[in-house]
Amino acid sequence: MAGFRPLNLVRPFLSVLPDVQQADRRVPFREKFLYTAVTLFIFLVCSQLPLYGIKTNSSSDPFYWVRVIMASNRGTCMELGISPIVTSGLVMQLLAGSKIIDVDNSVKADRELLNGAQKLLGVLITIGEAVAYVVSGMYGDVRELGAVNAILIITQLFMAGIIVICLDELLQKGYGLGSGISLFIATNICESIIWKAFSPYTITGPRGAEFEGAIIAMFHLLITRSDKVRGLKEAFYRTNLPNMTNLMATILIFLVVIYFQGFRVDLPVRNKRARGQQGNYPIKLFYTSNMPIILQSALVSNLYFISQLLYKRYGGNMLVQLLGRWQQTEYGGGQMIPVGGLVYYISPPSSLTEVAQNPLHALFYVTFMLTACALFSKTWIEVSGSSASDVAKQLKEQQMFIQGHRDTTASLKKELNRYIPIAAAFGGMCIGALTIVADFMGAIGSGTGILLAVTIIYQYFETYEKEKAQAPGSLF
Amino acid sequence: MAGSQSQASTLVARGGRSSSNAPTGAAGALRRRPVRGSGGSGTTKAQQAAMNFYTDDTPGWKMSPVVVITMSLSFIAFVTILHVVGKFQKAA
Repeated sequence: MAGFRPLNLVRPFLSVLPDVQQADRRVPFREKFLYTAVTLFIFLVCSQLPLYGIKTNSSSDPFYWVRVIMASNRGTCMELGISPIVTSGLVMQLLAGSKIIDVDNSVKADRELLNGAQKLLGVLITIGEAVAYVVSGMYGDVRELGAVNAILIITQLFMAGIIVICLDELLQKGYGLGSGISLFIATNICESIIWKAFSPYTITGPRGAEFEGAIIAMFHLLITRSDKVRGLKEAFYRTNLPNMTNLMATILIFLVVIYFQGFRVDLPVRNKRARGQQGNYPIKLFYTSNMPIILQSALVSNLYFISQLLYKRYGGNMLVQLLGRWQQTEYGGGQMIPVGGLVYYISPPSSLTEVAQNPLHALFYVTFMLTACALFSKTWIEVSGSSASDVAKQLKEQQMFIQGHRDTTASLKKELNRYIPIAAAFGGMCIGALTIVADFMGAIGSGTGILLAVTIIYQYFETYEKEKAQAPGSLF
Repeated sequence: MAGSQSQASTLVARGGRSSSNAPTGAAGALRRRPVRGSGGSGTTKAQQAAMNFYTDDTPGWKMSPVVVITMSLSFIAFVTILHVVGKFQKAA
């Protein structure tokens, strides 16, 4: 405990941070379900409720890429979504992982300080982002808005941010199922998939009025077109709107990810206290689940945001151009897309022709994705307390030991170390690879989104099964 | 604990501590919940006491879940009222 510890700086702020009480009893499933439903309801209302006081919404959207993943909705109270929480989590992970702040995970006070620091950072990021959004003129020129409106918008964004943090904590502290972050992400992605499949909007294009939703459009085309085969072809291959191929790709990726979830190594363990009691300790291929993807997309989205802001202000600067050059697309409502610099190389190639034109881009993108996912996955096990030594400690507490090995933590750790780091790194890479494949196949809601959704839904399914096993008969 | 919790699924049912906390995986792990009471390897009683002096029973603005939900709902009401008042002001 000697010397200066940056983490201690957080202590004075802890008393002003909102903090949800830990559930002091076991909350029954029905109640958990109710809390989760209410939380979801609040989230959905907030993501439809427009912010008061905004003037315009037309300028290009710097967060266009990550709207789905960050569970945010343009011009509504959920403008920021969960980006503050995720970003602060990412920053704390990087700081703790790189030993800039030293955290002793076995000390309760340290863990609490780290949690507090993360929450504090989340609040600060919320304020920062809210001010940046308003000042940068995303809702219209500040002079036009007036000081009162500007302050009102910042207040609304800030309050919404605090509410998201509290709701997430509410679910995590044992009152709900899963965590707020995953619940919000999954809802947002599922919403967009359902919408893209069944949207009843009609859009007038070069081929006349068309339905936006892929399935509705298919039936519409089949009924109205005289040439059924060509109608079907159009439903499958139209490029401007979601088509059936996209939908099929989404379903395929869904199934593949669920199939991979079952891959695992079972370590036979035995109980020292109760003789004869045996079991398996499974180490899954997707050991860190979707964490690498969340962190990777948080990193990329922040890079995009910074690069885009810099390019708008100081487009002539060499360093800024090296980071990323941006261009408005002709279609898609003046969306900015990266066309050069580092940011371009870490963005997915938009089509196969682009891959052929610039294979270096595709190669760099694939390498970046795989390495980033593997690295994030590996550092994540250390931070989240699921590394070999942590698991060994846990098993020891439960008096569980691997069969055919000595009953020491060291031997447990050694044995676990043969699997866990590899599972984490390789699993992270697999997740990254699946994301790339999904992106190429044009799965709805981007590869990252669909992968997040599937893993989250799978976790909810597991939770449900576990609850059912623990308290049979108390479910619906 | 995210990883390990989802891992523990087929573990022999014993001391359900690690498996009773339902949240699994994902972002559930962005914030780690304290798992053990206190202590840990290497710390003496005295050290623990000194540290718990500050952080026992996490300091902070305690809220019950009902308060959180009420707060969120009143926020929604607040924004809605703003919209309504704004409309009237424009009309006047």
